[in-house]
Amino acid sequence: MWSTLRERGISYLIVGPFAIVLAFPFYWMLVTAFKTNGDLYDLNNVPFTYHPSQAAVGEKLPFRHDHWLPFGFENATTSHVSFIFHNTNYLRWVENTAVVGGLVVAITLLFAVPAGYSLARLSGRWGQSVGVGIFLTYLVPPTLLFLPLSRVISKLGLQDRIWSLVLVYPSFTIPFATWLLMGFFRTIPAELEDAALVDGCSRLKALARVIFPISIPGILTVVIFSFSLCVNEFVYAITFVSGTKQHTISAGVPTDLIRGDVYFWQSLMAATLIPSIPLALLYNSFLDRFIAGFTGGAFR
Amino acid sequence: MPENDDGLEELGLSKSLTRRQVLRRTVGGFLVLYGGALPKVAAAGVPKHVHRQYKNTLKIIQWSHFVPAYDVWFDKTYTKRWGDKHDTDVQVDHIALAQLPARAQAEVAAQSGHDIFGHLSPQAGLEDQVINHKEIIQEVTRKVGKVSQVGFKSCYNPRTHKWHGFPENYVPDPIHFRKDLWHQVGLKPSTWDDVRKAAPKLKALGHPVGLGMSNELDSNMLLIALMQCYGAFIQNAHARPSINSKHTVEALKTMRDIYKNGMTNEIFAWTAASNNQGYLSGRLSLAVNAISIIRSAEDANPALAQNTSVAPIPRGPVQRLGLEHVMGVYTIWKFSKQKALAKRFIADLEVNYQGAFKNSKFYNFPAFRGAVHNYTRQLAADPHKGKYKVLDLIARKYTVNLGYPGFSNAAIDEIFNTWLVPQMFAQVAQGKMTPAEAAKAAEHEFKPIFAKWRARGKI
Repeated sequence: MWSTLRERGISYLIVGPFAIVLAFPFYWMLVTAFKTNGDLYDLNNVPFTYHPSQAAVGEKLPFRHDHWLPFGFENATTSHVSFIFHNTNYLRWVENTAVVGGLVVAITLLFAVPAGYSLARLSGRWGQSVGVGIFLTYLVPPTLLFLPLSRVISKLGLQDRIWSLVLVYPSFTIPFATWLLMGFFRTIPAELEDAALVDGCSRLKALARVIFPISIPGILTVVIFSFSLCVNEFVYAITFVSGTKQHTISAGVPTDLIRGDVYFWQSLMAATLIPSIPLALLYNSFLDRFIAGFTGGAFR
Repeated sequence: MPENDDGLEELGLSKSLTRRQVLRRTVGGFLVLYGGALPKVAAAGVPKHVHRQYKNTLKIIQWSHFVPAYDVWFDKTYTKRWGDKHDTDVQVDHIALAQLPARAQAEVAAQSGHDIFGHLSPQAGLEDQVINHKEIIQEVTRKVGKVSQVGFKSCYNPRTHKWHGFPENYVPDPIHFRKDLWHQVGLKPSTWDDVRKAAPKLKALGHPVGLGMSNELDSNMLLIALMQCYGAFIQNAHARPSINSKHTVEALKTMRDIYKNGMTNEIFAWTAASNNQGYLSGRLSLAVNAISIIRSAEDANPALAQNTSVAPIPRGPVQRLGLEHVMGVYTIWKFSKQKALAKRFIADLEVNYQGAFKNSKFYNFPAFRGAVHNYTRQLAADPHKGKYKVLDLIARKYTVNLGYPGFSNAAIDEIFNTWLVPQMFAQVAQGKMTPAEAAKAAEHEFKPIFAKWRARGKI
């Protein structure tokens, strides 16, 4: 029992500092989101707790009589969080992001799964070179591509519509996903497919019935990673779509919450923290498979 | 327990809910939320002309104004009324200040986009992509009087005789300083020499002056203004580079001294927001910026606002001469299909600029002075004890265009947007070059830029 406790203690001792460092930005975002302007801008205040200050115009202090609250939360305001829901199209941006992300993930899987499988199994020595070639296209930055692509978007009549993002985002998700899946498919023994073929399966059936079910970690990794790339993308989102109701989070938040040289820090923190929570939970729920997916092709 | 959940069990996550259950509940919740709205939509039926159907559409893009109420007024009041009158659906899109150039380039590359593009600096480099705005200038001049010199020299090309933009507004660029701190050191920032003398004392008090030297708008504006006060200019009145002068050397020496004795190296990483944040946090004793600082302080920290003075740029050994902080320029692309409507919209907005002036909290000064009546009386009537009266003085006497004494031409545009002036100052402040070497190196960089645009027939 003592040895188990000691092992656990050592594990927590090693992991604990990492967890604190990684969770710290989220804590800071959370604390800042509820700070009053007076508290936030006073350099004498510790930034990680709340301090009494004069409320700025429009700031409400709903907890000011609740003196039992920790970290001085009675000095917190909800005005800046409520600002993003009442004065911006925040929920619409979240919805747009979900729609674009979902569709791009579907398109990515549609192309990357067969491409990754083909490169892993059917292309022989060429597979590796083509795979690296595809991955290299992922490395071309959007800042170079947005000008020529804006012409394409315009010709297709997709300017200022979220469909332009659905069309463009796969240009960086598919190469990465193909490369990732190629490595993953290589870890699956070819004998499994051979056995299925011997038993009368066609190549497609073997793929669907044998390979895909054991490729779930890799596919999940692609789903989560592609979705994250879509949520984070900024250059295309800001240049192809200009209507505030058509924005995704990455474009809408800086457009509406950075006004000229004035940053609405608390609202910015809230607006970025809110979507990161479900994404973090999603990562956490599939952590083991995510790790398996990423490291699947690492040793071959 | 499903067989695939052993990993989760180790993480302590699967005891109450399996992964499959989490997924099911998430998808279920999503469907319930969205499905719940369906009966409501079905009951309401197909909307029948919820919005009025307009004959035309006019698309405008401009920055997200630092005063949120300005955008509300512009998007929901002014443009709606104008649209109703002209049977036009006016669609206004906003974009962050720093993203404007990239968006403009994307629209040029695509040859499609908005009918009216609102820039925040003169756009001589885009001259070939825009219409001649002369017609609008003439109409507005007829109705409210002459355009200001700042507007004229920012948007007119004397070589091609083309108005490459419409000067909608310009923003005076005052200094903001803390009365209590400057009182403590026994000085006032009336001249650059005062700033040089006070900077070390203010730094010792823990409140340095904040004068940026980095690749960003505010540093660019401040440093060119400082040069002007010393009689140094990027070009002369005939669009010939004139940076390599003893005046530039003196300006470089001054800023080097202020940095070495009175600032910290954060000014090399300055952003457009650094002035505001540094000042609002109570750390800076002086900042050069448009009135966004004092307006933010009035809301966030009234005590600081009361303790702040707004004044014209300090005088140099030659003169007191600042720049417009922002030049609001509307352009109509050649590819726009609504050129006539766009012209009408811009002309009407300028002729009736009263609303814009007031709703921007006196940030936007009309490029046509006659467009706002009782200009000075309105500034004096601001509830903050006449603090903004000085803006009129700054706008009239101490504000010139970028590229003064010449025009804001394409070469100036390129030098401004490639941050060559802040880089020259930073090289000297960091001790990498002497002031004389930096002025000579800048001239070496400027000459080919002027030659290129001269060869293209733009200057």
